[in-house]
Amino acid sequence: MSVLRVENITMQFGGVVAINNLSMEINKGEIVALIGPNGAGKTTAFNCITGVYEPTNGADYFNDSPIAINHPTGKMAKTYAGINADQYVGKHLHMTPDKITKLGIARTFQNIRLFKSMTAFENVLIGTHLRRTSNPFSATFRLNMREEKKLRAHAMDMLEVVGLADLADEKATSLPYGKQRRLEIARALATDPKLLLLDEPAAGMNPQETDDLGVFIRDIKDRFDLTVFLIEHHMNLVMDISDRIYVIDFGKQIAEGVPAEIRDNPAVIAAYLGVDEE
Amino acid sequence: MAKKNSKNWLLIPIIALIYLLVFVAEKVAGTSSMLVTVLEKGAIYALIAVSLNLLNGFTGLFSLGQAGFMLVGAYTYAVLTIPMAKRAAVYQYYNGGCITFTVPFIIAIILGGLLAAAFAALIGFPVLRLKSDYLAIATLGFAEIARALVQFDGLGPITNGSNLLKTYPTYKTVMFPFCAAGICIAIILLLIHSTYGRAFKAIRDDEIAAEAMGINLFRHKELSFVISSFFAGVGGALLAMYQGTLQANAFKSSMTYEILLIVVIGGMGSVSGSVIASFLFIACSEWWLRFLDAEQFIWGIKVPLLRSGFRMVVFAVVIMLIVLFYSRGIMGDREISIDRIIKKFSKKKGATK
Amino acid sequence: MFQRILPYLLAGISVGGQYALIAVGYTMVYGILRLINFAHGDIFTAAGFFMVYLTASGMPMYFSIPLVVILTVLLGFTVERVAYKPLRSAPRMSIMISAIGVSYLLQHLMWYITGGLTKQYPTIPWISDTVTVLGASTRRVTIITPFLVAALVVALVALIKKTKIGMAMRAVSRDFETAQLMGIKINNVISTTFIIGSALAAVGSFLFFSNYTAVSPPAGAMPGLKAFVAAVFGGIGSIPGAVFGALIIGICENFIKSVGYANFSDAFTFALLIVVLLFKPTGLFGEKTSEKV
Repeated sequence: MSVLRVENITMQFGGVVAINNLSMEINKGEIVALIGPNGAGKTTAFNCITGVYEPTNGADYFNDSPIAINHPTGKMAKTYAGINADQYVGKHLHMTPDKITKLGIARTFQNIRLFKSMTAFENVLIGTHLRRTSNPFSATFRLNMREEKKLRAHAMDMLEVVGLADLADEKATSLPYGKQRRLEIARALATDPKLLLLDEPAAGMNPQETDDLGVFIRDIKDRFDLTVFLIEHHMNLVMDISDRIYVIDFGKQIAEGVPAEIRDNPAVIAAYLGVDEE
Repeated sequence: MAKKNSKNWLLIPIIALIYLLVFVAEKVAGTSSMLVTVLEKGAIYALIAVSLNLLNGFTGLFSLGQAGFMLVGAYTYAVLTIPMAKRAAVYQYYNGGCITFTVPFIIAIILGGLLAAAFAALIGFPVLRLKSDYLAIATLGFAEIARALVQFDGLGPITNGSNLLKTYPTYKTVMFPFCAAGICIAIILLLIHSTYGRAFKAIRDDEIAAEAMGINLFRHKELSFVISSFFAGVGGALLAMYQGTLQANAFKSSMTYEILLIVVIGGMGSVSGSVIASFLFIACSEWWLRFLDAEQFIWGIKVPLLRSGFRMVVFAVVIMLIVLFYSRGIMGDREISIDRIIKKFSKKKGATK
Repeated sequence: MFQRILPYLLAGISVGGQYALIAVGYTMVYGILRLINFAHGDIFTAAGFFMVYLTASGMPMYFSIPLVVILTVLLGFTVERVAYKPLRSAPRMSIMISAIGVSYLLQHLMWYITGGLTKQYPTIPWISDTVTVLGASTRRVTIITPFLVAALVVALVALIKKTKIGMAMRAVSRDFETAQLMGIKINNVISTTFIIGSALAAVGSFLFFSNYTAVSPPAGAMPGLKAFVAAVFGGIGSIPGAVFGALIIGICENFIKSVGYANFSDAFTFALLIVVLLFKPTGLFGEKTSEKV
């Protein structure tokens, strides 16, 4: 059963086509990696899934119900450089990122975005906010004490899962880089996701930390019954944990398959190493 | 998480003691003394400054409409409480006005807050979806529109146009503004420390990350804006009571600027800072710096520069120095904490040993 | 009908032109620093007072007029160096608060110096004379304002499009950090922006106060705010937008006065602002910007 289906997504900024007719499908319980050279459009693809960007054309489905549908309109209708422009005419759906998170897609950021005035614990606590049932009145006058206690316990559990429980009261931004990345994962887990999008979770980590991260990602996947979709440059990690891999370059898919296939795929090697013009 | 052995509960008896001292001060110094005047106005400004801080300091929204919301609250209060017997005299140019009922003063204060909140909800709807600069200019614009509308002749039967509103009920003791402002600030504090307050701070720190955490940006900004405006409206009603008479002309953008500067002096994101700064600000501008405005002679020689207006120049220079060189303000984004004071003192003791 | 409308139309174009000269200062500073320079209206008022005091000192006009421009430019330059430059790396809210602080200081300083009194603006010969145009009598300043504004704006646009400093300005407004890395002296560019803005405000003050004849410490606040709204209306950061917005506001304001709602002419400006923010938040000529994730 597919958890996420990306269908003919094109994302065009002005005249620049950042993603060109990209289609991907991720099944329940899989760990799938999205790789490609710098500037290939990987983070843009994540942004099109999480609602940060509204794709120019195409559709996204989460658990087979649409979360984004669009086709080029207005000025874009004239300058559109992609294909399938008429496939989605008459349909339009744009959800803001918070709605998509509520449906069960959580993410981390390539350039860490922790709440800088808050402690590690408070950062994770923010992730529980969307599961509240209290309204502003009951929250202000402390009529929600039982729920508040539950949310705090849940946040503490998530910190424990990523191994940061003893640093709960430290300022989030004072933690070392690798721990900040883990804290972002704890924060994402606190929203109770079904699909977890990780944007370069191993960036800035040393080899030891990277190995640990691989074990950790598998571990949380089993523990919380997750599906994981990640962007990563550390090839060892990608080859080690992924069930399948999508490779994109210049916004287009150039390969898809299990790690062993991708490793030997000439198009992938060419994209990474470059080919001589003949 | 509450730490063990915290001595912060001591703040409760300290605050009670302050209230007691204010009560005694009024009995000793008299209701019309400068001290009591400063305490009254300081308490009201403290509430308004905290309400603005909720928005600017805690939610990261740069709003400049506070004077407008105060105006709405003040006028709602005055219009609804002027005794029927006196309306003919107050509304002498408008045949006694068109409102033929009065409401109890507590209800009028709350209605003032609610009307201000309703206006905020209306403005927030288009504007809060935009970049923060636009909120600043739109709220400033709203304040000007509100002032022009109140002075509009066509609304004279309700607002008395640009004429004075007076003879509405005021309070008899400084304890009233102190208690009212205290309760309101306590409510704002509770909100800030609830799950919604945490969400506001998340939006201030990083909008994109907050949205990715499932926080609906627009709804939370609107909530903060509406609550802030409610308390600004209540503060406006209290200010009307303090002044005894009311005229729209006083609620200019410079009033908002003053409140914003109080928030900055106290520290963006610190409730206790705003409260302390309000009393300091009012004491300096109304009382302690008064001598700068009067010509003075020392041994028969006239002291240069001292004349009417010099007080505010000195005051403005001091504020600029704070803004430029001490931009974290008195408290930064922290609150008063007994634990930290104890820690500081014990450190000093350790150093002298 | 035309005879009845004409005086208001003339007055509208004229006051719109004066707003335009202030609005350009706002829009240029915003374009480069992303700062709403709340003190700009007060610098405009200060220019009015410079003229009052210089004339009172008995200086001939051909001396005092250039001197007013120089003093205003110096004031704008100093404000930037003292109050904005130290906050270059601070959060944007801090620098806006600093601008509000400067406005607060300038207003109280002017109040102190003048004793809070309204001063009569000196009559500048020739431009204050009354003339008759198509049967409507008006001051000459009303007629020359649009031409002067057009000439100045054309010169300014040429400066920005053709000269080296203009190119630097465009680069800085596009991308502050990259421009700095490319070796553009940011501080010089910003100072130039403030100098041009202040000089235009000084010219605006000659025209505006010749028309209204009274200067008081808060006199510049309202025209300053309206000029700012004009800049937002036209799309903040765009010079033609600011001029266009200012003309619209000037003309509408005078028509509202003509139908007897003078009280509302100020409120109208802000209502217009809210309507614009509702339907085209980036203004008529503004560019759309999006945040990078």
